[in-house]
Amino acid sequence: MVSARGPSVEEWSGVDVSIAEIEAELHRLRAGVTDEDGRPQQRTSVMTHVAWVPPEWLDAAERVLEGMRERHPSRTVILVPRPGEDGEGGIDAELSVRSFPLGERSVAGEVIELSLRGDRALAPASLVLPLAISDLPVFLRWRGEPPFGETQWDQLVAVADRVVVDSSEWGELRYAELAESFERSAVSDIAWARTGSWRVELADRWPAIAKQEIAIRGPRAEAALLRGWLASRLGREVLPPEAGGELAVQLDREDVPAPSDGPLTPSDLLSAELDRLARDRVYEAAALAATSVRQG
Amino acid sequence: MSVVTEERNPLVEGLPLRRRPEPCVIVVFGASGDLTERKLMPALYSLAFRRLLPERFAVVGVARSDESDDGFRDEMRNAVQHFARDPFRQEVWDELAAGMRYLKLDAADTAAADRLAALLAEVDEERGTGGNRLYYFAVPPGAFEPLVRVVAAIPEGEGWKRLIVEKPFGRDLASARELNALVGEHFAESEIFRIDHYLGKETVQNLLALRFANGIFEPVWNRQFIDHIQITVAESIGIEGRAAFYEQAGAIRDIFQNHLLQLLAITGMEPPSDFTAESVRNEKVKVLRSLHTPGPKSVVRGQYGRGFVEGVEVPGYREEEGVAPDSQTETFVAAKLYVDNWRWADTPFYVRMGKRLPRRETTIAIQFKRAPHPPFEEAAVEGLRPNVLLIHVQPDEGLSLAIGAKMPGQGMSIRTVHMDFLYGSAFRDGLPEAYERLILDSMLGDATLFTRSDEIEEQWALVDAIVAGWQRDRAAFPNYAAGTWGPPSADDLLHRDGRSWRRH
Repeated sequence: MVSARGPSVEEWSGVDVSIAEIEAELHRLRAGVTDEDGRPQQRTSVMTHVAWVPPEWLDAAERVLEGMRERHPSRTVILVPRPGEDGEGGIDAELSVRSFPLGERSVAGEVIELSLRGDRALAPASLVLPLAISDLPVFLRWRGEPPFGETQWDQLVAVADRVVVDSSEWGELRYAELAESFERSAVSDIAWARTGSWRVELADRWPAIAKQEIAIRGPRAEAALLRGWLASRLGREVLPPEAGGELAVQLDREDVPAPSDGPLTPSDLLSAELDRLARDRVYEAAALAATSVRQG
Repeated sequence: MSVVTEERNPLVEGLPLRRRPEPCVIVVFGASGDLTERKLMPALYSLAFRRLLPERFAVVGVARSDESDDGFRDEMRNAVQHFARDPFRQEVWDELAAGMRYLKLDAADTAAADRLAALLAEVDEERGTGGNRLYYFAVPPGAFEPLVRVVAAIPEGEGWKRLIVEKPFGRDLASARELNALVGEHFAESEIFRIDHYLGKETVQNLLALRFANGIFEPVWNRQFIDHIQITVAESIGIEGRAAFYEQAGAIRDIFQNHLLQLLAITGMEPPSDFTAESVRNEKVKVLRSLHTPGPKSVVRGQYGRGFVEGVEVPGYREEEGVAPDSQTETFVAAKLYVDNWRWADTPFYVRMGKRLPRRETTIAIQFKRAPHPPFEEAAVEGLRPNVLLIHVQPDEGLSLAIGAKMPGQGMSIRTVHMDFLYGSAFRDGLPEAYERLILDSMLGDATLFTRSDEIEEQWALVDAIVAGWQRDRAAFPNYAAGTWGPPSADDLLHRDGRSWRRH
């Protein structure tokens, strides 16, 4: 039993486990997170949050999730593919049920981290489907560059209501391949989210901006998306962006002051995307337009 | 690719909706008062913190006391540091404070309007606020009239003008009508924003979402399925040094006339055709007009005597400083009300409100009728209570639905369990303070969450009818101990109908 004033956590780990074992242990852990009177904590969930996290991204992903768990009470399923470790395959699980204080009460959320050894990484949807909470949206955060066209990507996109990528994590800006998923799932891009305050700033410069010479410099993905956005919305050509440094824009060769909104943390950025449900057609058009961009 | 036209900005599509008002200056009358310190300035800071204020914005504090611009800024900075819900950030404060001015003003002074007008012209020039003025009367009702005249005498310019007034709006129907007429001489109804801060609370707005965004509740939201409704507005505090106000107001004018009747109206209203100010207020006023005036047996008044609250002995109302030793002011009201319309005929709304009750709680409890014929043995359902949908307005904002569930084990035994939805557990942002929403709405000209003149008058008409009944005899006060749920007669009000107040 843990105090209602939490924060508290009940944990379990197992090697070579089945989904049935995971469900049974989760049930047991939830019963163990109780208030001072021994009653189970309330579980409130607004989604199932699936994260596909190759081992090299695991530390970064865990830091982001740690910063946002209280904001998005959910069942989080972290899938860590380790295809080369064991040819026969198997699933190792680490489960935790965390209780967050909320006023006089606490709310419990669940984290299921599954290491998918060998061929068990090949059919991830078959693991997600039995673990997804019924009737709630499934958000998929794909860490790193997705293997577009491969089984894992296609399967998980098919079960997700929203896919969240960060194109700044990619080796190449493969927006054209990402676009093939637009009809199957809503797509968010953290790199696009980072351009949010710039888009607001530039939108305020309408209508003059429609005819001005626009020059963009900045991180590769963000600059390409901002250029794609301007090109698609204004219906005109925009100079290819210059790579490097902070995002910056010149209109008719004059610097546009950088928006004053403070930098958002990775947790803030992901958190904002998890609040969105509808398809973002403005992003889709920007990403498609960005595919024709090559760095200047 | 989009076609660019002169009329439409193609870049705004998909951007987060920014409810950012036009440039304006907010003129706070009563700038040295408690409300400004505890609510208004912290709310303005929180709006600034979230970049929701206009870029060109100014605050002019007006009061009768001597103060400099810098002194006013210092006081407001302290207020923000003490009472704002957001952490203090110097850069946010600096931006807000840069547009702050103070004016010592006596409304009786014949030059008052000229002096205020001169300062506002100066502020418009300095801050680019374009002549848009939001006047906020954070003053007692007695000060309204001279201030309305001051504001009315300020020459109108290019911009808009709006007026926010705090409750209480009048002290009876006649005075409310006078005030409406006075304000109406100088402001159109669409320019008047009568604040009932309960309407700015997220959970009150969530009640509208609950009823009108879900398909499952509205079909059972009527006399066919609901046995009765209980609305409780309970405070554990006493009068907190406000004897002069409370002796005149009592619970019926302080809470019943405004907060409680607004909660009842939102609970009982028909679905509006859209979410515009006029549509929502049209539906609320229909409920208020349909309220049946309760007879003397359907209203209970009380006054607390000495007792214990949270383990501490507290004095009775008549022992509070500034209260008459034979005061007849009520600190508790309970009533059985009926909304005489097709939806609610014969469905009682039991309401209670008071001070020095066991705890602070505002709830709306929708008690449904019992299942008509549970096919279980009597013993199986003896612990089963009717379904109740409980809306927690404050604290612990959320919803709770009481349902019957089978107890684990052999045989059939059913007991009541609660399914809870805690507002803060499902949504990541902290709940904004009511004043943040209401100030922002008034800057945007959206009056949906403000009370219209006809609503105010209907509310006072009901209060006048109840109070008239009280004038005939003296109440045997005090009649409940501090820390209890009011006088026994409040329980009798429901027991007579075979019901009882919710207990916890």
